[in-house]
Amino acid sequence: MSEDAKNGQCLFSEEHVRLIKDNYNDWFNTCLRDADRAMEGKYFTHSGIPIKLIYTPADIETIHYSEDLGFSGRPPYVRGVYPNMYRGKLFTVRQLAGLGAPEDCNLRIKYLMKHGATGVNILFDLPTIRGYNSDDPEAEGNVGHCGAAVDSIWDIDAYFKDIDLGTISTSIVTHLPSTSLVIPGMYFAIAEQRGTPIAQVAGTCQNDFIMETCVGSAPEILPPAVSFRMQCDVVEWICKNVPRWNPISYNGYNLREAGTNAVTEVGIAVANAIATAEELIKRGMKFDDFAPRMSFFWDLHNDFFEEIAKCRASRKVWYKIAKERFGAKNERSMLMRYHVQTAGITLPATEPLNNIARSAIQGLAAVFGGCQSLHLDSYDEAYSAPTEEAALVSLRTQQIIQAETGVVNTVDPLAGSYYLEYLTEEMVNRIFAYVKNIEDMGGLVKAVESGWLHREISNYNNKYQKDIESGEMKIVGVNFMRSADTEIAPIEVYEYPETYTRQKAKLDRLRKERNDQKVKECTKVLRDKCHSTENLYPYCMDAVKNLATHGEIAELFREEFGLWSFPLIS
Amino acid sequence: MERKIRVVMAKLGLDIHWRGVYLVSQFLKDAGMEVIYLGNKFPEQIVEAAIEEDADVVGLSTLGGNHLTLGPKVVTLLKEKGLDKVKVFMGGVIPPKHIPLLKQQGIYEVYGPDTPMDVIIKGISDSVTVH
Repeated sequence: MSEDAKNGQCLFSEEHVRLIKDNYNDWFNTCLRDADRAMEGKYFTHSGIPIKLIYTPADIETIHYSEDLGFSGRPPYVRGVYPNMYRGKLFTVRQLAGLGAPEDCNLRIKYLMKHGATGVNILFDLPTIRGYNSDDPEAEGNVGHCGAAVDSIWDIDAYFKDIDLGTISTSIVTHLPSTSLVIPGMYFAIAEQRGTPIAQVAGTCQNDFIMETCVGSAPEILPPAVSFRMQCDVVEWICKNVPRWNPISYNGYNLREAGTNAVTEVGIAVANAIATAEELIKRGMKFDDFAPRMSFFWDLHNDFFEEIAKCRASRKVWYKIAKERFGAKNERSMLMRYHVQTAGITLPATEPLNNIARSAIQGLAAVFGGCQSLHLDSYDEAYSAPTEEAALVSLRTQQIIQAETGVVNTVDPLAGSYYLEYLTEEMVNRIFAYVKNIEDMGGLVKAVESGWLHREISNYNNKYQKDIESGEMKIVGVNFMRSADTEIAPIEVYEYPETYTRQKAKLDRLRKERNDQKVKECTKVLRDKCHSTENLYPYCMDAVKNLATHGEIAELFREEFGLWSFPLIS
Repeated sequence: MERKIRVVMAKLGLDIHWRGVYLVSQFLKDAGMEVIYLGNKFPEQIVEAAIEEDADVVGLSTLGGNHLTLGPKVVTLLKEKGLDKVKVFMGGVIPPKHIPLLKQQGIYEVYGPDTPMDVIIKGISDSVTVH
């Protein structure tokens, strides 16, 4: 690196840096008070990176502009994945829509689109996510809460009634690979029935075995290796058949909410992307066949600069892995594109309107970080899925960032900040070290099977909570500057008590009208294929087209693959 | 030796986010209680475990909306088995207006987001000593 400095490749000349270091020492020893000096080494970012009182060119003396930063749309993509960034295409304003029955969600989607949303995230209730029909006994009490109930292809048809599937970009928040084998397939089948070729359909599905095995707990969980195989089946089939669809969104977000920091959030998601790539290559695909369609999902937490650094660092990490490890040739394979959601975990129930400020600041960090798509959590996060009013405030906040602040007018406007560039490099190194740690354990599937990842999450949460309890981590209005007369806010929550009855009636009608013989045949084939190495996607598609329910398919998986016990149970 | 307070903790039904319940379990353990964390269980299984573990307290965590349906069901089943003394606590994302409804149906206390751990620990200890 000193060679680079000599050749004038670094940002600052060696001589200049030496002078700055001398000046820094002088400033530190003579200008600061003892009390200031004593505090050096006692400040940390949220993930534990030490923070100095001041940053100078000496902290980024090894950074080589062309190699380490470069230009937007050029390697290593630290400054953004597209050359013109937000001048070319603003980040997609993608708010959530999902409560009650699919018919209710259809109205919410239309409402958000009328107010300028450019994409939607569709959410499901827990029975749908975990693969139970609305009238299964396990579903009791959860039907239509936190998302919509989807039992069959009819429900996806209702969800998107009068919406052109050839023009909308839909993110289907399926969480689990087993659910991603079924519900996006319903969506594709509906598009076909309406005359839209599936090659034109655009969107994303969350499809992450970590969601099944670590992030969420459940009464019945498929084994990690099975869930991982399904994850790869989804990616493989969709890449070959639905070229505008992102078949996987490596879910750093939920990992973060479950209990990881900015470094480990990205590290685990990247380790999963590596594992998927290796499996698909083993199946005969080329890296460039699928990598351009892999997407990521980050959580933007409170530590403003660390979060921006994380976004910038993650692009460089992925570029290096794609290029150096997998020999990517297609430029799109090297681009880490990601959706951001602001951090729900940071939004307390106390004085909920303060959450509008928190989400706005986190959203701003996401834009400084260069996200492709953004969801802002609503102020009523700690009470329920957002009401219409709260969802509109989130949408408007994004539009204010886009239209009023001017931050979208130039690429990566915080680049060159000594602190931010230092943090970005530090994050790159720490993410790589964490990925190596996982790989040394035998890869991510092994790290999950052994319960290691669960312990990591649990240890992090313990520390985080202790920091809150001790007041070291301040939450305004909760453990810091708390008002004496804090009352629980009278927030309205959505309730859809009639969802169960409506879903049950539809299921009864479906069971009467469908051809049971056909359903039996399709599910028998799918059952047999579970024990082959064949891709399960087409067999699931066939089953849903013949009106097999999501719950029936998921139950079949549980029977054929068996269940896994979630670690940490005492 | 004084008998430790015995707490059976569970994620209620299909609920998924385990951060809160596992944290509370660990903090209760650190406070000297005997905590049995069951993972995700349905009311019948929770009551069975409460019997088997001779629980003083059952803690139910739910964020996903099944609190009104499954929470009171646990209370009812406990009563059916003659375990009237077992106190049932709930925590998670529960709309404030549902709290009185839960208490009317026998839930002893409900802790929402932002509740300090001390409050939960004290609430459970007091509930067991005060009969």
